[in-house]
Amino acid sequence: MAEPDFEARLTRLFAEAPSFPDAALFNAEVSAKLDRGWAMRRLFIGAAGVAAGLIAAFQILSTRFSSEIAQISRDGSHGIENEINAGYAKVASVFTSPGSVEAVWLAAGLALVALAFAVTRAVEEL
Amino acid sequence: MGMERPPTGHDIELAARAAGGDRQAYGELVRRHGSAVRGLLRRLGADSAAADDLAQDAFLTGFEQCAEFRGEGTFGGWIKKIAARLYLKKVKREARLIFSDAVEPVETMGRTDASGDAASRIDLDEALKALSRGERLCVSLCYGADWSHAEAAEALNIPIGTVKSHVKRGLDKLRARLARPEDGARREAHG
Repeated sequence: MAEPDFEARLTRLFAEAPSFPDAALFNAEVSAKLDRGWAMRRLFIGAAGVAAGLIAAFQILSTRFSSEIAQISRDGSHGIENEINAGYAKVASVFTSPGSVEAVWLAAGLALVALAFAVTRAVEEL
Repeated sequence: MGMERPPTGHDIELAARAAGGDRQAYGELVRRHGSAVRGLLRRLGADSAAADDLAQDAFLTGFEQCAEFRGEGTFGGWIKKIAARLYLKKVKREARLIFSDAVEPVETMGRTDASGDAASRIDLDEALKALSRGERLCVSLCYGADWSHAEAAEALNIPIGTVKSHVKRGLDKLRARLARPEDGARREAHG
């Protein structure tokens, strides 16, 4: 047989897909892995969102703390003990003032809702 | 709940949908090309368990990279190249890529029918067993995964001349093994 003929035949033989009795099982396994990967990705995105939300909430709060503390240090007329006490009082006021408490609870609530959503979807898809 | 109909359409269309995250469309591509990829990996020299694991990995990688497939070639060729690369990576990692002339045993593909084209495929799989590891790898990469000699040389990290000589020796062996009765008769008629 001439070389090109044989090479064409060989290419054709290689191109013909063999039949496997467990082809359906193989397809199902790939689909399951795709679904699992997708679920994990969504879970990761959800968790990242929750983490980012929490960090943002605490950043907002800590910014307020730092500005309050800076203000305290500028008011250098008091003794250190007074400053610390005043700082504690300011920090406590951040948590106890109605607006701040609402912000903290809102952030925590949203984080929980996002986490619950992500977990529910992940469980459904797994 | 009724059975969902499998997605239809050309491979390129399904791949475009898969690139957008459509797992059902990609599942159809897996159904269409799964056996070809599994077969190629066995022909390259992987045992059946490793071949199936690698084929799954190839399809998962393919899903991640589906946006890169723009239909320049066939989807089947594209996914086979991914599978072949994964196989080479695996054998390199396991330091098993030794180009000796020794012939290693290879598993036969599980099939029950042996008529017509199926018999030819079995002939090919049987004939490939007569090749050394390097010959089988080079022939299967160039004819099964549609790699050029240069691509194979680069992936295997060997000179292109070595690839060509492996392919030539492999083809000679395959030609002898796959010779059909009419080929002999034709040679005699010409001789």
